[in-house]
Amino acid sequence: MLTLFDLAAGWIQGNVLVPLLYQFDLMEWEDLAYGWALFVVYGAAQVALTFAVCLPLERWRPVEHWPDRKAVAVDVLYTVISRVGILPLVTFVGFYQAQVALNGFLTDHGWVPPTLERALPFLLGHPVLTFLLYVLILDYSDYWRHRLSHRIRPWWALHSLHHAQRQMTFWSDDRNHLLDDVISFLWFTAVALLIGIPPLQFPLLVLVLRFFESLSHANARVSFGWLGDRLLISPRFHRAHHGVLAAGQRSCNYGANLPWWDMLHGTADFSRAYAETGDPSGEEALATGGYLAQQWAGLRRFGRAVMRRRANKTQGGAPALSRR
Amino acid sequence: MRFRFSFSVLLLGAALLAGYAPAARAHGLAFVLNSAGASISVVDMSKGAEIRRIPVLREPHHLALSPDGRDLLVGDTVGNEMLFLDPASGAVRQRLPVADPYQIGFSPDGKWLTVTGLARNQVDVYDAKTMSLAKRFPLASMPSHLAYSPDSATVYVSLQGTDRLAAIDLSRMAIVWNVPVGKTPAGVMWHNGRVLVADMGANTVEIVDPADGHIERRLVIGRGAHQLFLSPDRMLIYVNARVDGTTTALDAKTLEIKRVYPIPGGPDCIDFAPDGKLWITQRWASKVAVLDPVSGAHAEVAVGRSPHGIFLNARAE
Repeated sequence: MLTLFDLAAGWIQGNVLVPLLYQFDLMEWEDLAYGWALFVVYGAAQVALTFAVCLPLERWRPVEHWPDRKAVAVDVLYTVISRVGILPLVTFVGFYQAQVALNGFLTDHGWVPPTLERALPFLLGHPVLTFLLYVLILDYSDYWRHRLSHRIRPWWALHSLHHAQRQMTFWSDDRNHLLDDVISFLWFTAVALLIGIPPLQFPLLVLVLRFFESLSHANARVSFGWLGDRLLISPRFHRAHHGVLAAGQRSCNYGANLPWWDMLHGTADFSRAYAETGDPSGEEALATGGYLAQQWAGLRRFGRAVMRRRANKTQGGAPALSRR
Repeated sequence: MRFRFSFSVLLLGAALLAGYAPAARAHGLAFVLNSAGASISVVDMSKGAEIRRIPVLREPHHLALSPDGRDLLVGDTVGNEMLFLDPASGAVRQRLPVADPYQIGFSPDGKWLTVTGLARNQVDVYDAKTMSLAKRFPLASMPSHLAYSPDSATVYVSLQGTDRLAAIDLSRMAIVWNVPVGKTPAGVMWHNGRVLVADMGANTVEIVDPADGHIERRLVIGRGAHQLFLSPDRMLIYVNARVDGTTTALDAKTLEIKRVYPIPGGPDCIDFAPDGKLWITQRWASKVAVLDPVSGAHAEVAVGRSPHGIFLNARAE
């Protein structure tokens, strides 16, 4: 079915990207550019959908009122960079090249590159079922990525930028340190290569998932009810993860879309309701600095964490992992 | 209604002037490879509508009919798989692991199958009967389109990531020459003892001496000249231009431009229907244009995302 997204991506490709590529003698990338155009269109649609739904929700039932929203403005920038800017290009091209290299190598050596559809042939021709299985695997792997990003001190030093926000809104989902984004990308790539994820095949469903991730950060008193909160992560559930008491290496509610993994591993906490957010242990620049100031502060904190880890090792001190 | 009436009169007049009698609408199936949709659209040609989709793993780009006409081979590049379809029904007969099959083409004598690996910078030559790899040629970068000499002795491959065209001697399994031919060489065709190369980075088709690859002359076509197709009656060569959005008809004897058709949405591959119409994939429009070369009008058939290779099982011979 031809969608508006395809039409928009086609228009960008034909009227903007291809003339530019032709002008700058880069026509060999024309095919790949179309894939990127699709990413940009779906990214913009994600932002628009999130804005259209979450903004009224935040106005209707806000958890917190703030005298000004300066700190939120930086999160808007993070979102734009992450979803419609350079990051999708790097991610798309990077993942594509990694997939080509690995799968071609395996094929050359008589191996069949891994895909879910090859492992479970009945999935071929059932795109929705296939996608749901991909979602389950990726969401579970993301649970562990997120949990480890809290447990490992240097990684937490980077991830703390995400938690530093005291004015958490639906824009905060993409507020991450660039190095944290790189690690997440590598994590995703490793898992995706193992199961052969084809993101371009399911752009609309990816859009819906990213929408729910943004919604879970909304400054809104929204719960899906006792049962609903146990089926899908709500703003109430995820806010507990961002609460000041949960910031740091011992947190709860690590899941991105499904709370099942937290329930399975005993890290779910449904009792905390609409806590204040932020990370009291982080320096102020992480919370209220501009984009570059936040990135620099995150890098400094990361450097300190690495040095402390080295010092601990040389002195035979405590390991860098917390108990949980 | 008035428009339809005027259009019909125009069409009839043009057909009479050209001595062209439109045949009954073509029957059969069109197979369209949706490279960004992981599927093959099956189109009922008589209805001009998609009737179903064949799922593939990842990214199907090009196809080729086996010399005996029994199998339609479809290359899935990212899926690293070659599919063997029944060209009559589209039923999948076989799936074979093949590294990065982008363009695929059988030699005229049916002995070789050449597979360009655009993403992996390699050209693989397979024994067409056994599908065993005879020789791999690492060729940087982005080997894309290919064409054989009529005696099947040489295969010419454009290196889209460079400005070069390579000639591979299939009897010695060696690269004979690898020379610059334009900015971004794409489509390749053997024609009347010469190799024609469409230059996607420019607006030209280069006429190349097959002996050493030197350019004898250039034809100005349209910006983003991409791929060349010989009409079934061998009278015309059609060249698609991606940037300008045109399909240009050249006289096959003189190589003079006969007519230029506007085809928006990144025209790419062409196949010819028995009723004289050209089925042209429109990469960014998710459609196939069905062009009547006499009237110049085209209808559009909606298919999947980024349609690339196309095959009509009711093709004219």
